Amino acid sequence: MIHLKLCMVGAFSVGKSSLVQRYVQSMFSEKYHTTVGVKIDKKDIALGATPVRLLIWDLAGEDHFSALRPTFMRGAAGYLLVADGTRAHTLDAALDLNRQIEASQGPLPFALVLNKEDLIDQWEITPPRIEMLERRGVKLLRGSAKSGAGVQAMFEHFASHSLKERAS
Amino acid sequence: MTSGRTGRAASPLAAPPDLGRVLSGLDMIVLKRELDDSFLLLTDPTASFAEILGTVRAAGVRLSLRGASDYLDHFLFDAAEFWLRGEPGRIRSGPWLEAQRDGEPRALEAQALRHNNEAFLIIEHLGAAYDAQVRVLQSARDHLLKEEALEREVLRRTQSIRLREEEIAMRLLAAAATRDGETGSHVRRIGLYAAAIAEALGWETGRIADLRVAAPMHDVGKIGIPDAILRKPGALSEEEFRIMQDHTVIGARMLGNSEIPLLCLAREIALGHHEKWNGRGYPQRLAGEEIPVAARIVTIVDVYDAMVHRRVYKPPIPEPEVLAAMAQGAGRDFDPHLFDVFLGILPTIRAIRDDHLDEAVVI
Repeated sequence: MIHLKLCMVGAFSVGKSSLVQRYVQSMFSEKYHTTVGVKIDKKDIALGATPVRLLIWDLAGEDHFSALRPTFMRGAAGYLLVADGTRAHTLDAALDLNRQIEASQGPLPFALVLNKEDLIDQWEITPPRIEMLERRGVKLLRGSAKSGAGVQAMFEHFASHSLKERAS
Repeated sequence: MTSGRTGRAASPLAAPPDLGRVLSGLDMIVLKRELDDSFLLLTDPTASFAEILGTVRAAGVRLSLRGASDYLDHFLFDAAEFWLRGEPGRIRSGPWLEAQRDGEPRALEAQALRHNNEAFLIIEHLGAAYDAQVRVLQSARDHLLKEEALEREVLRRTQSIRLREEEIAMRLLAAAATRDGETGSHVRRIGLYAAAIAEALGWETGRIADLRVAAPMHDVGKIGIPDAILRKPGALSEEEFRIMQDHTVIGARMLGNSEIPLLCLAREIALGHHEKWNGRGYPQRLAGEEIPVAARIVTIVDVYDAMVHRRVYKPPIPEPEVLAAMAQGAGRDFDPHLFDVFLGILPTIRAIRDDHLDEAVVI
């Protein structure tokens, strides 16, 4: 079985843990529970005929109180940068984290996840910003930990992409 | 953990019984690193370490920690480097949540240290200390989220007031623009296109809102150009063109001497929207980034909108032709980076066009 380490990074309260919980346990809680430190979840999946164990590292949200340790990325097949569509500054925070990671670890596969699609009418992240990121080649995935929409595809698309990157 | 990872030490070096009890009471384990990368457990473990230690129940056992915990594996890589460097002090892993068979994950933290040239690993169950840390952080972040929500509400209300102001400004600008055959929709579109570029650039919300209103004022100085020139159907003479160019300066004068950020921005745009990236524009022949960024944005969207729409003097030009012609001007007439941003948000630009079609043109 192939082991793929995948890190979840982003500002606090963007839904990193909720996305993992939705994907691994098919559960969602409305209440915000802050993550301190690192929580690792595992999920065995099949990508085509390839059995894969996803090791999902849910890293504490970035803010004044807690800073990302770029060494957490060591050995990772890639990472999901998570932003909350209803809070525009979380996209800036995600892009800033991306710069930090690339500066310390070099380029790694990543995708930008825009969470809380169930609240699309309250999004502050506007189409022009999204179109611009896509033009710059950023892989964008959308979903909602609350409704579950796009969550499985988000993890498995990314795992599949990482697997191909590894093969090449 | 499998029995293959453990073995009884030849000469057990467990902590003295009293110290062992103290350490167990603190819910931590102490391990000494052996030469072969295995570890000698020096203290009796508590249940908190069952997942990591498996069947090991007492001090004095030599074991491998490899594969015992994904997070610990990661930390041991850093710890091995630290021990190798022989530096004094210690390094900490930071807390992690280790899943347990009984359901609730336990918060653990590891430390690597050297003492008397020997390498030690301490793993601590953080227990209540971790819960307290979570409570403090949770409370601080809940507070930040409430502040964010309040700021959003203030912004929402400010925007609703601003929308009314915008509506008045747009109507006045549309009325003024009819003098040279422009439409109210053109005026609105210029503001919306410009704001879309600013959004793509990640500008702050208030500045985007200012640009949305300021950009349509770019040609306000045409109010000072005589009808005979402004509405002349044919080509302008050299002197007429010189007079026409004055609309930039007239507009800047009309909008100048204000401390209101929106009007300052509008002045920059009115004065600078005919400057060219290569310095061959007017009125100041500024080049490159000397031209205010807001003016550089408006230059692009004004040309685009004028070309794709019908004017009294020309039919609309198909967008592919417009974009091809504009691409020739990138780096010459337009800021090439902003032109690239403009191309990147074409779906939004087209949506703005479709939502704000021209009304009948007043000649």
